[in-house]
Amino acid sequence: MSARQQAYAALRICWFNGILPLWRTPLLVAAVFLTPFSFLFFLFVITAPTNPALLPFGVMGGILFSALFTGNGMLNDCAYLRLERQLQTIFVASPVRPLTYLLGMALSELAFTLPALAMFLGILDLVHPYGPATLGVLLGVVVLTWLMASTLGFLISTFFHQLREIWPIGTLVFSTLSILPPIFYPAGVIPARLQWAAFLVPSTFAGQLADHALGLTFGPALSPSVLNSPWLDLAGLAGATLLFGGLALRLARWRDP
Amino acid sequence: MEALVARQLTRVYTGRGKTVRALDSVDLSIEKGRLFAFLGRNGAGKTTFIKVAATLLMPTSGSVTLLGRDVVSEAARVREEIAVVPQEGRPFFHLTPREHIYEYLRVRGFASETARDRTDELVRAMGLTPFADTIAQMLSGGLQQRTLVAMILATEAPFLFLDEPTLGMDPFARRQVWQVVRRTVRRGSTVLLTTHYLDEAEQLSEELAVIEDGRLLYRGTAAALKSTLHREIRLEFGPGLQAKELEPFGRVYAERTHLVLLTSRSNVRPLTELALERGSEVTMGPVTLEEAFLELVGRPIEEEEGSA
Repeated sequence: MSARQQAYAALRICWFNGILPLWRTPLLVAAVFLTPFSFLFFLFVITAPTNPALLPFGVMGGILFSALFTGNGMLNDCAYLRLERQLQTIFVASPVRPLTYLLGMALSELAFTLPALAMFLGILDLVHPYGPATLGVLLGVVVLTWLMASTLGFLISTFFHQLREIWPIGTLVFSTLSILPPIFYPAGVIPARLQWAAFLVPSTFAGQLADHALGLTFGPALSPSVLNSPWLDLAGLAGATLLFGGLALRLARWRDP
Repeated sequence: MEALVARQLTRVYTGRGKTVRALDSVDLSIEKGRLFAFLGRNGAGKTTFIKVAATLLMPTSGSVTLLGRDVVSEAARVREEIAVVPQEGRPFFHLTPREHIYEYLRVRGFASETARDRTDELVRAMGLTPFADTIAQMLSGGLQQRTLVAMILATEAPFLFLDEPTLGMDPFARRQVWQVVRRTVRRGSTVLLTTHYLDEAEQLSEELAVIEDGRLLYRGTAAALKSTLHREIRLEFGPGLQAKELEPFGRVYAERTHLVLLTSRSNVRPLTELALERGSEVTMGPVTLEEAFLELVGRPIEEEEGSA
């Protein structure tokens, strides 16, 4: 199969594994939307009366949470199709390349998340209006975050033999990526001597980059000062995306060892 | 020309302090355009063989070449030529049988017209027409399995692996699958099939192999395997006769309340007369592939005890 046919195959996988089920079971969108919206709701209840400046951070957190949790969806769906339905087998034993399958599955997860992303972007525009250039940057951050999370989800999914082992792993990994680091809240609220530690979690770069694009600041500048550079955030996010993508293509068990 | 050649193929599973030799120095070749059946008990090594040959699992040692290419070093090229019905696979729950076949063909690079034609053909041939537009979630297990088999057969890939393809299907559906498999072979595909239905192996395969504990026990035709029994008749006796009375005439074992004797044609008349004398009903038929298979790999212990 040519590269063009592989790209088309990825789109078809997205069509029948992402868009068709969404069309037939719209309730799936609600499931994807519910968790980040719950966080946002609590943040709104807690912060809005006393500190409304925190609200845009929370909405941006909802956007990044949605993008990051495509990784959890990827992990669970890939594991389910491989272990419970044996369907990954029929793609392995075919001209479909691992990258094609990975991309097709990742696009499926994105399809599930798109309505939630659109809604959060709309809410963000209401609480913190932004222009087209900022929207472009935000979409770039979302795409990199989605790719990073999806490749990580795919990689992990290939190492397990039981679905019940995977569920807690997914929750652990993707909650660590999306709840602990400064995604829903500004990095400035972390004690100064621990701020560098937040950057050990790659999703921090996504959160910081988005905050820079939106011009969101809260509290004193981060310490050390290099942590305030958007270029560091871009390099960190792109680097993590490339790293997880490379690891997924190199280490994921397309064929069992 | 040979479509598949396995040489000294060995696969060892290790984990949790245990080592299992699932394939042990297996040598096997399958001619191009043949329908080859792989028989064996659960855990004998059939699926492991398919997984290695279909580039799903690495061998521990030995080699497999498929259509002239090594399945380890040239896996991507091999994958262009194969399709697999996995054991106990299940289709996507939200797609219809028609969508399954069409989408899988499109993903594999078929043009839309070809994919549509083949989808229509397979839906008809596999008896899926009444259910073609019902989502798989609403279909019975047998219909879901038929959908999965149809997806794979529609590819008409040069080499098809069918791992227990008719599991859970009713006798009508099994025969429909047999017909499509035969047609696919006539069109040039080579098929490696595993099954626990020995009638299926006998009906479909031109050649078969029996594997036990990872080792190849037999390779040849079904007829030749049956001839290894040296007893061509199967007599089944109702209550009234003792196993020890029949033992001098051949191989005896118990099957529920009946005794089964595998014997030669010359013993039929005296044994039938003996049964009539005792008022025991007797039925006669040719030995089956199942008899030959059981004889080759060894009968379950309870049956051995039953005949004692």
